[in-house]
This record gives sequence, C-alpha cells and structure tokens, in this order.
Amino acid sequence: MSPDLHTVEGIARVVGVDPDGGAWLVPEQTTSCGHCASADVCGSKGIGTVASRLEARRFHIDGGQALHIGDRVVIGIGNRALFKGALTAYALPLLVCFAVGGVAQWAAQDDLLTMASMAAGLAGGLVVARLAARRLTRGGELAPRFLRFAAPNESCPPQQVMQ
Amino acid sequence: MKETVLMMIGAALVNNVILARFLGLCSFMGVTTRIDTAAGMGLATTFVITVSSMADWAVQRYLLDAYGLGFLRTVTFILVIASAVQFTEMTIKKVSPTLFQMLGIYLPLITTNCAVLGVALLLVEGRMSLIGATLFAFASSLGYSLVMVIFAGLRERLALAQVPRLFAGPPIGFIVASLLAMAFMGFSGISTN
Repeated sequence: MSPDLHTVEGIARVVGVDPDGGAWLVPEQTTSCGHCASADVCGSKGIGTVASRLEARRFHIDGGQALHIGDRVVIGIGNRALFKGALTAYALPLLVCFAVGGVAQWAAQDDLLTMASMAAGLAGGLVVARLAARRLTRGGELAPRFLRFAAPNESCPPQQVMQ
Repeated sequence: MKETVLMMIGAALVNNVILARFLGLCSFMGVTTRIDTAAGMGLATTFVITVSSMADWAVQRYLLDAYGLGFLRTVTFILVIASAVQFTEMTIKKVSPTLFQMLGIYLPLITTNCAVLGVALLLVEGRMSLIGATLFAFASSLGYSLVMVIFAGLRERLALAQVPRLFAGPPIGFIVASLLAMAFMGFSGISTN
C-alpha cells in the first residue's frame, strides 16, 4: 500500500518482536507532547506522570518486514479507517441511545424513566459498537501498517505538519 | 415537533458553538489540518457533549436545584465532564482496543474543550426537558463537527494554494475562519422568518 493512501501517519518505536515476524510498537512522542495546556490532563508526556498511557497505546503489526527492537518506523492507518472507527465507536451508541430514549419519552412522558432508558440504550449501543468493531478488526480495516523506516532526524510525518 | 426542529437548527447553525459563541477554538485551529482527523474529533466531541449533557441535566435537576446548590454548578459540571471523558475512554478501550489506539488521543483533549462546558451551561439556562436538553446538546455538537469538517476541507485546499509567506500558517487560517463565521451569520436570518 503506498503511503499517500494513508490519512494518518505516525512514528513509532519497536519495543518487541514476535517469533513469527510481527512486532509490538509504541507511538513516539512528538516534541510538543507534554507542553500544551492539556498536558496535565493528557498525561501523554508519559514516563514520570501517567506512564501507563504510553504502555496502554502499545499496538501490534503483522509480520512481513525485518524489524528489530529499537527501530523507528513510520506506520499508517488506511484511508477511511479513522472515520469508520469514529462512526462505530461514537455514532452507533448515540443512535441506539436516542432511539430507545425517544420511544420511552413517547410511551411514558416521564423524564426519569426516559433517562434510565437512554442510559440502557447507551449501554446497548456500546455492545453493538463492540460487535461492529470486532467485525472491522477481523476484516483488517483498522489495522495500522508498516510504511517505511523513519529517517534518523525525522520527528513528524509530512501529513501532520501544520499548514 | 416543529419547535424541536427549529431549536436544533438554531443550535447547530444560527448559534453555532464555534462561529457564533466562539467556544472550542483550541481544537478548531489545532485538529483541522485534515478532514478525517477533524471528523474523528468532531464525533468524539459529539459523543462526550451529548453524554455529559444528559448527566449535567440530571445533576442540575435532582441535586443542585433540589438542594439549593446552584452556586456549585460550574465546578460540578467540570467534574461531570471529566468523568464522562474518563468513562468514554475506558469504554472505547473495552469496546475495541484497536479503536482506542486510533481515537484515544482525542479524548483527553475534550476535557479541556470549553464547548462541552459551554453547551452544558446553556442547556441548564434554557430550562429544557431531558429530551429537549439532549437534542439541544446533540445539535450543538453536530454544528461543532460540521464547522470542524468544513474548516479542515478549506485548510486542505489552502495547503495546496500559494499563500504569501507573511500570511502562511495560522494567519491565513484565522482569515478563513473569519470569512466562514461571516458566512454562518447568514443563517441568522432563518430565525426571524
């Protein structure tokens, strides 16, 4: 897959290699990370603050390229994957929540009951989202892919440079 | 029904959160370099605004109003919003770890997005029913997402244009944003017709 087909590119560092050639990576922090107004909340400055966040962002890519621990690589996510993922994770639960809430309001005309129904609808919507996400993941649509090795001084992929 | 539709159009277009109320400008300038990332941020914000507005409505009705604690509104709402963001982050992580890798980056940023608090305060002032408040919050956040995507599209075009060096970067971004705000002012005519 050529790099220009990816909407989101990022630099990651290899932290583990599987015997089958797959690799575990963590996203590399950019120089601005931890310096913005949201730094205290975000915690993405990692070690020393909420270090587990970086650990939580560990992700796996399939084999096919010779990666070694410590390698810096540029990875990308498919063209529409981000939008599809956002629709699945956010829009789907909200739609179910509204549908259930609307029916409850129409039937009972009671705010408390409507609220309970909407909460239940949201929970149900999240279950539906989980199933949909599983289907997308199984189809490989959400999988990040190896694009190339990052240059030694490369810190920000071209697509992410502010215009 | 007609009132509800008008209220939603008003919240999304006429009184747009970004271009009319000037809330959420941080993400408006920061996450709009590409359409897909802007749409991702918009959807994440829509989810958080809607969920936290439902919770804020309940807190206002059954706690603050009931016990005369109105002076704690801002602090309480901030707490509710932070909790809603945390809940969303945990849920997305549980629903799909892959989606969390892709979208998790936006969630902490939403905590400090003043549009979320702004919408919660507006719907409380409006004294709406639960469904009305939720639809108002949803429409406001849809307006937010719409402007984010439009502005991202314009910035993608700007990236290909030959902009004078003096105006390159944020300056031309602000000029385009002001033109977009003026265009959205045209929607204000809808409310009087």
